[in-house]
Amino acid sequence: MRKWPTAYILFLLCLPLFGACSPQESTAPAKKPTAKVLLIGLIPEQNLFRQIERYEPLGVYLFRKTGKKITFKILPEYGNIIDSFKSSGLDGAFFGSFTYALAHAKVGVEVMARPLALDNTSTYYGMIFVRKDSRIRTARDMRGKRFAFVDKATTAGYLLPLDYFHEHGISDYKRYLKETYFTGTHEDAIRDVLNRKADIGAAKNTVFQRLAKADPRIMKELVVLERSPDVPENALALRVDIDASVRDLLKDALLKMNLDPDGKKVLERFGALKFIETTNRDYDVVRKYAEDIHLSLATYEYMNN
Amino acid sequence: MKRKIVIGLAIYAVVFLLAGVYVIRTIRSATASLDRLITLHQVEILREHYLLEIKRVQSDLLLRDTQYSRNFDTVVTHAMGMGRFINNCFECHHSPRGMERLNGLKQQTDKYKAALSRVLTIRANTPRLASEKEAAFRIGEDLIRQVGEMIAFTTPRLGEITQKALSEIERAKFLLYVLIALGPLVSALLGFGFINGLTRPVKVLVESTRKLKGGDLDHRVAGLKDEFGEVATAFNEMAESLKEQVKKMHRTEQMVVVGELAAGLAHEIKNPMAGIKVAMSVLSEESYISPEDKVVLQKVVAEITQLEGLMKSFLNFTKPQNPRLEPVNVNQMLNTTLTFHLKHQAVGASESGKLMIVKEFGELPPTLADPTQLQQVFLNLFLNALHAMPRGGELGVRTFLEEGGKTIRIEVSDTGNGIREDHIAKVFQPFFTTKPKGTGLGLAISRQMIERHDGTIAVANRPGGGVLFTIRLPVKAEVGATA
Repeated sequence: MRKWPTAYILFLLCLPLFGACSPQESTAPAKKPTAKVLLIGLIPEQNLFRQIERYEPLGVYLFRKTGKKITFKILPEYGNIIDSFKSSGLDGAFFGSFTYALAHAKVGVEVMARPLALDNTSTYYGMIFVRKDSRIRTARDMRGKRFAFVDKATTAGYLLPLDYFHEHGISDYKRYLKETYFTGTHEDAIRDVLNRKADIGAAKNTVFQRLAKADPRIMKELVVLERSPDVPENALALRVDIDASVRDLLKDALLKMNLDPDGKKVLERFGALKFIETTNRDYDVVRKYAEDIHLSLATYEYMNN
Repeated sequence: MKRKIVIGLAIYAVVFLLAGVYVIRTIRSATASLDRLITLHQVEILREHYLLEIKRVQSDLLLRDTQYSRNFDTVVTHAMGMGRFINNCFECHHSPRGMERLNGLKQQTDKYKAALSRVLTIRANTPRLASEKEAAFRIGEDLIRQVGEMIAFTTPRLGEITQKALSEIERAKFLLYVLIALGPLVSALLGFGFINGLTRPVKVLVESTRKLKGGDLDHRVAGLKDEFGEVATAFNEMAESLKEQVKKMHRTEQMVVVGELAAGLAHEIKNPMAGIKVAMSVLSEESYISPEDKVVLQKVVAEITQLEGLMKSFLNFTKPQNPRLEPVNVNQMLNTTLTFHLKHQAVGASESGKLMIVKEFGELPPTLADPTQLQQVFLNLFLNALHAMPRGGELGVRTFLEEGGKTIRIEVSDTGNGIREDHIAKVFQPFFTTKPKGTGLGLAISRQMIERHDGTIAVANRPGGGVLFTIRLPVKAEVGATA
């Protein structure tokens, strides 16, 4: 009888361990109640601080329209966004096309809307570019040169160069090139080539065009060698376990922004005409692109280091 | 005085307005100085904070990739905070020079943030990472230097401005104290001046009135000005008039006494005079009296008769009889007087010339009057007119109603030589006459009678020559008669 309490206590202490080993672990994560504040991740598409400044008015507007406070969290790498769903409790994020495809495959997020740019496009494409005066025009010219990628989890800043090397029979680009590195932002990849910090760069056309408006040297001194297929522009996707009513509220507010005078002003500042509905199938083009270069989304190691 | 009061009040108002404006201006100036001072100190604190934020970001940068490295979110928060400080500065600075300097700082801050973003996001080999970190650090140091220079430049100036503002506030405080102390004093002095200016003339007038009341009719008010000066003049005129009236009253009283004495004397003389006249008449009839003596006696009788007439008139004047009122037709009375009485009297008066009588009688209602007295008045006026026209002329008699039928107006005019201007005021005075044998009582008695009928009589020279007498009699209806 004396050993009974000790055995009982031991049993209680072991209960969590039994729980951890239960079969439920392999199923989808338990439905998390939607917090009052929605934490939305931002990828470092451009200068971190400018990226925050670009999205903050949108957060304020959505709060005013939906009553849901939105906090943006900028991430140092595209790949971090996937991990952050697990570690930082992100409720959603504005994903790049490739990061969405990865995140959908790995953590199960659902896209809802993306912006329609001022030029009436809702897609972008990747570009490989060099300085006009560099004499680099072909894959052969690239041997022994410095290549500035954006991030391993970008279509424009990494998949395109991979596809380009694949097509030109370059199996190990690290050996083919003198130096490769990840600038982290499309903006920096463009500026590095422009400022001769790198010889070749890859980045998305929308950032390229936005920078070119502010700096005429970009159009004058850079030349594009290759482009990728069109892929959907950065879109908002939420965790699948987010309450449907919240999801609908946000989606409705985004899609009707252009009908509201205040929303129009925010859109103008954001650099878009409106938000359009986006579905998972819009990313088939990205998946196909990854498949073409024999890249498995499920196993792809997306971190830069 | 009114002008003085208005000017005084205006000065008072202007003084208070100026003082009020000055006080408000001083308070506003002091408040503005304090506001400016607070703003400048806030700006200084903002600059210091900005510098601290930059230094903190620099420290984040230096510690990166070490064991003390701060996490990514903290570094981003610090850098965002640094950006917010410089953006806040744009809300305060407005001078072109300040804006230019701030724009330079903002550009440098943006450059630093771009370099920092690059350091935070880049994944590359060690030399490249080190190079990016160093570049960002250099930009940060440059920014620290710029802000430091700005602080070094502005701190002494801020001290100077603070000192100046405090001096201004001190000066304003002193002036306010002086104003607060002087305000009531000035008010009291101005008030005393105004009250004194008002009460002193009143006092003088009251004193003068008391002197006048005490019988000092020769006292006059002097030394007052403006409206009080006018009051003083009126007061002096009143005193002069009062003095005249008192003199006249004394004279009238004396005249009454003399008149009563004379009337008594006349009455006493009248009976002996009648006796003498009868005796002289009887004596002149006696046969033993020579014709020459008879002539003498008849002259004596004639003179006594004239004396009797004079005494009768005098007694009439001094002891006038009350009018015996009865309904009278004024036009008819005038006609009768002109027709009968004047005919007898006029024979001698205007025998050498042709007398023309012009009558213009308006429709008059009967009025209560004493017919005997009225007839005597009319006859007096007619005889006067005849005497004024010894060589003939035109005697005008005109009647009509005026004042809406309440007054009968009777005008008697002649075409004689008129009355000398200096005699006009005296014609109704007793014993005033220009005729050699006149008693000077006719017009005086006439006026007395008319006044006893509540009427008036006036005389004036006509513009074309001659005299116009105007009598105004109120229309009096008999009691019980309807209008």
